[in-house]
Amino acid sequence: MYRIRFHGRGGQGMKTASRILGSAFFLQGYEVQDAPRYGAERRGAPIFAYVRAARQAIQERGIILEPDLVIVADDSLVPMPAAGVLQGIMPRTVLLIHSGETPETWRHRLNIAGPLLTLPAEAAAGDGQRFAGAALAGAAARLVGVITSSALERAVQLELAGLGREIVSANLDQALAAYERMAPEAGRVSEGEVFAAAACRRPDWVELPLDEADAAAAAIHAGATSVEVRTGLWRTLRPVIDYPRCNRCWWVCSEFCPDSAIRVNAGQYPEIDYDHCKGCLICVAQCPAHAISAVPEAQA
Amino acid sequence: MTRTLITGNAAAAWGARLAGAEYVPAFPITPQTEIIETLAGWIDAGEMDCRLVTLESEHSMITAAGAAASTGVRVFSATSSQGLLYAMEMIYAVPGYRAPFVLVNVSRGVQTPVTLEPDHNDVLAARDSGFLQLHCATCQEVLDSILIAYRLAEDHRVRLPALVNLDGFYLSFTREPVEIPDPAAAGRFLPPYDPESTRFHAGEPVSQGVAVLGGAYYSYFRYQQHLAAQRALAVYDEVAAEFAQQFGRRYDAVEAYRSEDAEIVFFMIGSFSTKAKDAVDRLREAGQAVGLVRPRLLRPFPAEALRRALEGKKGVAVIDQNLSMGMGGVLHGELAAALYGRAGMPPVLASFIGGLGGRDIAAEEFCEMAAVTRRACTEGSTPPPRLLYTADELRQMRKLQTVAHAERMEGKTT
Amino acid sequence: MESGFLEVPEEMSDETITVYKHMKDLPSSRLLGAGTPMCAGCGGLLAIHQIYDILGEKTVFVNAAGCMTLLTVYPHTPFRGSWLYTAMASAPAGAQGVRDALDVQLARGRIKADEDLQVVVLTGDGAAYGMGMSSTSGAIEQGLDFIYVCYDNEGYANTGQQSSPATPHGARTSTSTGAQGFGGYKKDLFAIWAAHRPAYVATVIGTEPVDLARKIEKAKGLKGPRLIIALSPCPTGWDFDPRETVEIGHLAVKTGIWPLKEYENGKVTHTRPPSRRAPVEEYLEKQGRFAHLFHPRRNEALLAEIQARVDDYWAGVEESHLT
Repeated sequence: MYRIRFHGRGGQGMKTASRILGSAFFLQGYEVQDAPRYGAERRGAPIFAYVRAARQAIQERGIILEPDLVIVADDSLVPMPAAGVLQGIMPRTVLLIHSGETPETWRHRLNIAGPLLTLPAEAAAGDGQRFAGAALAGAAARLVGVITSSALERAVQLELAGLGREIVSANLDQALAAYERMAPEAGRVSEGEVFAAAACRRPDWVELPLDEADAAAAAIHAGATSVEVRTGLWRTLRPVIDYPRCNRCWWVCSEFCPDSAIRVNAGQYPEIDYDHCKGCLICVAQCPAHAISAVPEAQA
Repeated sequence: MTRTLITGNAAAAWGARLAGAEYVPAFPITPQTEIIETLAGWIDAGEMDCRLVTLESEHSMITAAGAAASTGVRVFSATSSQGLLYAMEMIYAVPGYRAPFVLVNVSRGVQTPVTLEPDHNDVLAARDSGFLQLHCATCQEVLDSILIAYRLAEDHRVRLPALVNLDGFYLSFTREPVEIPDPAAAGRFLPPYDPESTRFHAGEPVSQGVAVLGGAYYSYFRYQQHLAAQRALAVYDEVAAEFAQQFGRRYDAVEAYRSEDAEIVFFMIGSFSTKAKDAVDRLREAGQAVGLVRPRLLRPFPAEALRRALEGKKGVAVIDQNLSMGMGGVLHGELAAALYGRAGMPPVLASFIGGLGGRDIAAEEFCEMAAVTRRACTEGSTPPPRLLYTADELRQMRKLQTVAHAERMEGKTT
Repeated sequence: MESGFLEVPEEMSDETITVYKHMKDLPSSRLLGAGTPMCAGCGGLLAIHQIYDILGEKTVFVNAAGCMTLLTVYPHTPFRGSWLYTAMASAPAGAQGVRDALDVQLARGRIKADEDLQVVVLTGDGAAYGMGMSSTSGAIEQGLDFIYVCYDNEGYANTGQQSSPATPHGARTSTSTGAQGFGGYKKDLFAIWAAHRPAYVATVIGTEPVDLARKIEKAKGLKGPRLIIALSPCPTGWDFDPRETVEIGHLAVKTGIWPLKEYENGKVTHTRPPSRRAPVEEYLEKQGRFAHLFHPRRNEALLAEIQARVDDYWAGVEESHLT
């Protein structure tokens, strides 16, 4: 069985990418299961989707813990523990990163010996990454080595039907280009084993203790604990204040920041909390003095 | 045979469409919402001749569903979790109208705490309502069960509403290959709804849902619902056989997977039962005689078929994705009641509670549950119910508690 | 002169072509069957039988939990047409389901036009003013073609007259037994309903049958949400002799505490403004639920407050007429 995980940010089309690959497998005669993993997350937050494909009916369900192939649409997610990109990576797991950097750089950075490939990110700005789904699905299709380009083509058309001919055509070009680019690596991804009962570890079950009611209730006995959640990780564009141009108005940027991520410091200047700024860019749009600009996170 | 990759929610919408549902009272709730969105899209595009109305709550939605079914149209609706619970007064009320319709529940754990992910406490809260209950393990089964549910519910001998359950996330948002039956074939299997005399129109007065004073009179009507539900067992077998004949897919009231010669069987409902099948295959490879017995039909409870499937087994690992506080797993109790005091029934019914709020049940846990049950058979004593929870999960929980309680946790946990 | 009033005032009869101008114009068909378990002297039943005579038997009454739920106790029903009991909160949703299902069948030719039914919600004030407000609001927002009849007996009467959101200030109920009676104020359901801008809203009372008949006749001729509140003097809950029901109803109108009015096209019209309002005491003192305002000694402050609220209401009405 092939077990494949797509990682990206909400809004980057990971669900569609997983569906294109799923459909391509299916058109190729495989049994398929694909699903996005939804949660309370929003646009920009790390999300993932997965595809299982096998020659027999698929009985496994849920999150893929030991992937044969991991695809990352946004390279800023790779080192981020919360994104779980590297979770369950085995020596034979192929890692495909959509990145402007070389595989060598990544191999060194992550200190992993396993197969690591990159699909060069086209545009530097966030927009290029937004629509990387079709290209990544195309690359994945070639990496597994069992999907023909015509199956890929039909899968793209099937999954994007309704988006209009131009969009379908553009995505198809991207998917097929990525498929061609991965030709030297065709078949690099191999099917994972089914688990063997004999090799099963015993689960480390515990006897759950009875705790006191106030600890055992789903109640938070503390204030403003949400600051522990680093929503800055959602950001692909970073607002940057050009302080000489800031006229310390009535702190429009701070007032209109929905996330309380711009505070006013002792010197009466606004300061952006990049740990939590989600990159909505309302401050950029609203700054009366045009003192805030948006910079791609990769260049910040 | 053409198959298409669709989600469980899309399969549910297709079920309603192929059933020719004429009226859909609706209310959005995760993870069900896609079903009504899909239906609304088809209606707006003119692909489905149906009226969809968004009520202001699920309580109203089920009221409208029961009222419309009582007026003579084929009704479909869908909900999840808190929605089902919010509607619960009417869930208990409408079966007494004896006006059939089909309600899909996309299982999701109930509060508190709030979650989006599945377990079966929501649908089991409707267990004693009078709704028939069909539980699905795959997306294909979702679609097919809706067609079967209409036939069953509308059968002259039954006339009760039916609830078709699928798990949130694991089916609702997961695509699997599904054969979508041809509309003409679906129409042959499920002819247009015949409301019989249960319909409001001028000229033939009907007073529906009226009061009954006096315990014996009341009991009569309640017993009648029970007898009709019991009758639905035999009707289900007929309907499922006809479905198999027409579409080639068999849905016995009780699915028995490699259980014929098994010593130990898993007993569970829902989508995780395919994981149990996987475990059965692996344990068989390792030389262990393990099988799976899964009731598709939970109401009426197919006790006789279960006894047939379990006769002679050494032990049953009952896996409940629900929890009755202070008692344990609901299915465990139900199965015990069906087997107790009968000759040849398995002496060991081990109880496992797991998969609450979407928690996975890992492959090694299935293996361990089989091992625990086997040990119990050897030792001749049933182990206490096991709440599936790992040391690592508890460690992670403790980390969250530290945040939630700032520094006030000392002495409150062990 | 049936109740100390002149016949229908000039200004509101001009446009309305009605067959109900005088008492003798009223139907005497008595469609609603006898034999119901309602209390003797029930002011709610009084209004309902009059309403039923106008609406006729091509109706389905969709009921919420309340006194009238016991109109149909198996195997008896006073209705010649149909009935559906739902639950306390959701009778309008039941009406939605019935109406939609009738429309679906009409559109498909499965029922003929003459088999169609007028869908009528029938609830008490407990459902209308409280638990059922969400579903009522939803049905009005949907533009549901239905008539809502609320028999308002100003308390949870079926369970023994506990305070409800329709209980008047100062009244004794089984949950307001203190010297001051009920501390809350009766909710203005007419205004709440009218704020939804439905086709029609009216207050009626069974003791003014010509006014009631004309309003039901009008509602029957309209489409969309049409909502009727019928003040329903309740011998049991209000604690008076059943023979007094009609007299108390007359006093409710004569004192101005129950203004008869209707809302249509954004405009509120008072259909029976009392020409000379009697003191509200005349209405209160006939009911045991207000006895503590008079005995052992008069509660002047509370009596004055109740009178002042009625006066204020009518001052507002007159002001709006002048402007």
